[in-house]
Amino acid sequence: MTAMSARDYEPAPVAEPAISALQPRLRRARPLLPLLPLFAFLALFFFFPVGQILSLSLFDQSGAITSANFAKAFSDPLYFDVLLITFKIAGWTTVISVVGGFPVAYYLANAAPHSRNALVIWVLLPFWTSFLVRTFAWMILLGRNGAVNQLLLALGIVDAPASLIFNLTGTLIGMSHAMLPLAVMTMLPVMQTIDGNLSRAAETLGAGRAQIFWRIYIPQCMPGISAAAMMVFISSLGFFITPALLGGARETMLTQVIITQIQELLNWPAASTLSVLLLAASILVFVAYDRVVGLSSLAGGSADRSARTVSAWSRILDVIGRAVVNGLGSLCAGIGAVFAWLLPARAFRGLGRGSSLALFLIVVAFLLIPTLFVIPASFTPGNAVQANPGGFSLRWYEAVFASSDWTSAAWNSLVVGLASGAVALVLGTMAAFAMAWNRFPGKTAALAVILSPLIVPRIVIAVALFFLYSKLELVGTVTGLVIAHAVLAVPYVVITVMAVLATYDRRLDQAAAVMGASRWQTLRRITLPIIKPGLLSAFLFAFVTSFDELTVALFLTGGSFNTLPRQMWSDLLLQINPTLAAVATLLLVLMTGLLFLNERFRRSAGRH
Amino acid sequence: MPDHSFVRNGISRRGLLGGGAGLIAAPFIIRPASAAERITVADPGGVYVTGFTPAFYAPFRKTGAELVNVSRDSEPTSQVKAQVDAKSYVWDVVSITLSSRKLLSDAGLLEPLQFSGADYDELLPLAKQPDWLGTNVYGSVLGYRTDNMKARPSNWADFYDVARFPGRRALPKSPIHTLEGALLADGVDPKKLYPLDVDRAFKKLDTIKPHIAVWWTSFTQTTQLLQSGEVDFLPSSNARIQAAIDNGAPVEIIWDGGLYGMEGWAIPKGCPRAELAKKFIASCANGERQALYTKALAYGPTNQTAFKFIDPARAKQLPTEPANFSKLIPSNDEWWGANKDKMFERFNAWLLRS
Repeated sequence: MTAMSARDYEPAPVAEPAISALQPRLRRARPLLPLLPLFAFLALFFFFPVGQILSLSLFDQSGAITSANFAKAFSDPLYFDVLLITFKIAGWTTVISVVGGFPVAYYLANAAPHSRNALVIWVLLPFWTSFLVRTFAWMILLGRNGAVNQLLLALGIVDAPASLIFNLTGTLIGMSHAMLPLAVMTMLPVMQTIDGNLSRAAETLGAGRAQIFWRIYIPQCMPGISAAAMMVFISSLGFFITPALLGGARETMLTQVIITQIQELLNWPAASTLSVLLLAASILVFVAYDRVVGLSSLAGGSADRSARTVSAWSRILDVIGRAVVNGLGSLCAGIGAVFAWLLPARAFRGLGRGSSLALFLIVVAFLLIPTLFVIPASFTPGNAVQANPGGFSLRWYEAVFASSDWTSAAWNSLVVGLASGAVALVLGTMAAFAMAWNRFPGKTAALAVILSPLIVPRIVIAVALFFLYSKLELVGTVTGLVIAHAVLAVPYVVITVMAVLATYDRRLDQAAAVMGASRWQTLRRITLPIIKPGLLSAFLFAFVTSFDELTVALFLTGGSFNTLPRQMWSDLLLQINPTLAAVATLLLVLMTGLLFLNERFRRSAGRH
Repeated sequence: MPDHSFVRNGISRRGLLGGGAGLIAAPFIIRPASAAERITVADPGGVYVTGFTPAFYAPFRKTGAELVNVSRDSEPTSQVKAQVDAKSYVWDVVSITLSSRKLLSDAGLLEPLQFSGADYDELLPLAKQPDWLGTNVYGSVLGYRTDNMKARPSNWADFYDVARFPGRRALPKSPIHTLEGALLADGVDPKKLYPLDVDRAFKKLDTIKPHIAVWWTSFTQTTQLLQSGEVDFLPSSNARIQAAIDNGAPVEIIWDGGLYGMEGWAIPKGCPRAELAKKFIASCANGERQALYTKALAYGPTNQTAFKFIDPARAKQLPTEPANFSKLIPSNDEWWGANKDKMFERFNAWLLRS
């Protein structure tokens, strides 16, 4: 039973007369049908318009065909340097987010279900504070006179204010703060589906805790880890506001240079050329990542790997990888043995649990820091947001409620977020099923295609969609913005759902089928309930992508209707003022309150 | 809360409750300005709306025409290009800087304007362009903390003199006006600033580079930097420095050796509502109306008669107040228009080399 592959599970052909030789082929392609809606959607609203804009890289500004744009980009070392810096920043952000996110996801996955859901809400808090507010909060907190430096000075850790900002450190703090929830929420659903019996079996066979962790647990987490790393890395490539505000002279992202080309210089061919370079370089990294880490782990288990003719190169890497994991296991086992020898067994077990709790608390505290600053700032009596507000006033809340701008912007953002989240969830989940449960040629390429909306700078997507929308009469419409946001959000859905499906035990479906359930019944009653945590994460990512999106909304609506990030941007024009902190606090309370209520209802519903 | 507040900007509750049907119907609900006597004006949002509404929007609405104001991106040049190229006019009037005008005008993306009359004749010469009308002047000036700077600086040379004027400094992560500052500090005659001696500017910049604590990227940031004392001495727009002063920070503006630019109205080329849009733009040349926006916005009217209607204490904070204006140097957009791309590349490369 265990060796049953996806192919065996194909329902028996129900006496279909063989009309043509084409039919078996079509039948084999049928499992891939769920990919079609997403590919059609992306073809129309992403590849066609964006391809048109990117093809500008082949023309000069007068419209004649030329290779000069690429020649220039390659000959100028500036662009290569900026590309390297971009990848370096994205790489470090990925390492920090995945390493920091792992203990959080681990702790949550192993907590009792009801407390887990309550704890997840804390991890999600940063999502509800707009990236603009968060970035400015870090600016104030990490500054020379900021709270963090004051604390360090008071504790005597430093003698003079430390340089925590306007350098690589500040950039990485801001970026990994933004990316940690994404990493946690991608790894968590995978960890939740891990079969604890395997660890117990290993224990029975005499493996130590460290050995079990490194050799049994971690390999099972790999789909989640590799999905998280990929999403964080690719999302980080597109960041520019955080590095621009928290970085120093050298923290220049390629996206920023592309924006300058589009907006300051009105040089679309140059911007297209750089976007093509960014896309090409990202795909190279993607392919290399696939070779080394193996997206196959994400896309349906390591069986993929042995089936393929593995190159010597990846076999060597595989051996190295195994050696590293085994080595770490032995090392930790050794250290553990020393502790176990020093401490009584119960204390040792307590220590293990305690340290996992401590790591969880440290990371969550980091996630909460800007929030803890935003809430007091919203009660500032004065006009400026300061490190020490001094006093208490509700005037900024009154200002928010007095102006219909904020309420209508919030309403618009909510509507667009829910609608685009729903579109992305349906299209993305269908595609994820086809991707996760089928082996087909060009699967890695298909994944690269699905991920590309994350890599192409949003300003390029915005310009491209504007031209398409002007033909479709969608400029300035809610529908247009919903579609655009669904394009940006759908990669998150596909990856998150694929990651959960990778660890899904398909024997459950087979069991249901044996009991006489139809495919639809199996899906609705067995599969979907089990992968629900993953679907919820996916929807949440999609919703937040839209809820916090500024560039595309600004360009496509031309300001004809306001969204929250747009309203915040406008409010930030002259200075960061406490209205923004009040709005952020309200959002935080509202969203967290909704999640708590939802959790309460779910629990009481479950009891009856 | 009254229900209409949700409807105002487009998405009605019924539209949402109707689910899919509401979304499909939405394009018809919020078609941008299509009525005959209605124009859509794009401004930078925020405090500009507070200033421009009593000054420009309200009086124009009184004439019987409809005017909708929307907020634009900080640098809307590509949006104008997209709208003209696609012939999809979301905006009828858009606020752009004098240097963006140069860029768009050279690309043939702006509707020609021909104005005349008493109000128009009173405008500063630079405010009267063939396809653009300047409404406000901003100063690109130095500001410093009076408490942290032991000696009081008075010009660009002092910004570069870290020995006599110790303090933390910031510069924009952009060559615009940064190169001018370097040349002024190096003793170039303000009247012979352009064409910029670029090599000399970068050589001077080399000397200050190690002393720059922050390379700022957004104007909002500069208010915060001065306000919190993160930085003691930086160039920014006068309104951003003024915001820190208004919040009670011990900060002063140095007008001497500052540069000035303008913001104003333009019409995307081929706009079907250009006639009404022109009427609106013409009405913004009036000095008395310009005086009204200065209550909210610390920028200088382009019509000097406005100062008859401005409180003298406020006038002292504005770039076109005669005493301030005499110290400012016009930014040369012709030169920047021809050299901007090369300067951005060179500046970025210079920053990365350290």
